[in-house]
Amino acid sequence: MRWLIIIGLFFVFGTLGVSAQEREDIVLTGGPALRFMEHGKAASHDVYWFNFVDASVIRLKELKAQTQRGELITWVVYRPGYASRSTEMGVNLPAQIEAKARAVGVRLVWFDTKEELISYFNRGLDRSKIKIGSFDYFGHSNKACFLFDYSNTIDTMSVVWLHVRDLKFIDRNDFARDALCKSWGCHSGEMYSQWWKSQFDVALTGAIGKTDFEHGGLPVLSSADGKWGQ
Amino acid sequence: MAGIWMLSAGVLMAQTEPDDSGVYVSPTGAPPPVAPPIRKGSPLDHLVNDPKMQVLPVGYREGRTTSSDYWIAHRRVDDAGGSGWGWVKKNGEDWDSAQWIALQETPGVAVAPFRKLVSHTADDNWEFKFWGRIAPYKAYDPHLDEMLPVFILQGYEVIGPENALNIKEGPPNRVSHRPSGASPRGDRPILSDPGVD
Repeated sequence: MRWLIIIGLFFVFGTLGVSAQEREDIVLTGGPALRFMEHGKAASHDVYWFNFVDASVIRLKELKAQTQRGELITWVVYRPGYASRSTEMGVNLPAQIEAKARAVGVRLVWFDTKEELISYFNRGLDRSKIKIGSFDYFGHSNKACFLFDYSNTIDTMSVVWLHVRDLKFIDRNDFARDALCKSWGCHSGEMYSQWWKSQFDVALTGAIGKTDFEHGGLPVLSSADGKWGQ
Repeated sequence: MAGIWMLSAGVLMAQTEPDDSGVYVSPTGAPPPVAPPIRKGSPLDHLVNDPKMQVLPVGYREGRTTSSDYWIAHRRVDDAGGSGWGWVKKNGEDWDSAQWIALQETPGVAVAPFRKLVSHTADDNWEFKFWGRIAPYKAYDPHLDEMLPVFILQGYEVIGPENALNIKEGPPNRVSHRPSGASPRGDRPILSDPGVD
């Protein structure tokens, strides 16, 4: 009888100890090109400096509206691109991003390097307790790479990226089994999605073809035969 | 308990007022603004408004060029469509020690010589003295899925046109043909067309 009481108390206090905060939704945002690098090009990237930020804020508001009480929403942003574009424009873009995060009511985490980003995935929170429940990426990409820096440090090239070959450094157990993941950049569905599934055993929806951030709002497929795939 | 965890996680409190710091707010679906006016005297201003030349004058200098420690740089437009600038070697060394590099400009100090030209390829097979250094990091070329050493440019002097070098373009691990992707040989993923954003 005593053991039954003990077991019963265990279940009662065990359930009281389980937190509603078991999931984290992550929105990852890359940086813009500099106008110095892109000026005069036929296909000039990032004329609007907040094309990725605006799309990210829309998604953050969607998540905010649909998440369960206590579920964490984290906005992870590549800082150096906005810092250098700020210098070019003579404004403080990081401060504006911080204001947007406060306005939406989400947690903002800056990163400068790929290593910092990977570290956040693996150790930013206690991943044995808090899994990544959703992931969205807004930024430059090709089929093999997320390009957080693009045409900002070096014309048409990147110095901070997350290649498919880097995915192995992110622990496959960071993600919830039912995590919803999507890359809104170009071409991710053509290769990145397959490597993502192989590493994390969760699907990553990505574009087959290009996406267009130029017109505000969430990006749209812009290739004639473009589609979303996994 | 849940509230304490949220505070310790550093959640930013939502404002009750919308963000209205005088910054443009793009409504969903509305087209974004064009780039802001170019600031007078900025590197972008010089890039856009300084007159362009057909060829660079031999002996022209830009940036910090006083040190006796410099590199010799050979400009080459990559036939494979990559974004590498060309080769650099330390002054006095042979061209077989040269590296195929990505060129990191220093706006306001020294920018790529081709930015002075009407055509960005008009300095193909021209040589320069370069002042600067090799960066501790690499650059990723999304057009060819390659990583290149980075040369940070601090100054240059125009030497003039030279004969083409008998060196393979691209980094040492560039394959001489584009694999179909069907073969397991080679671990470089095959890219779409330039495919950036």
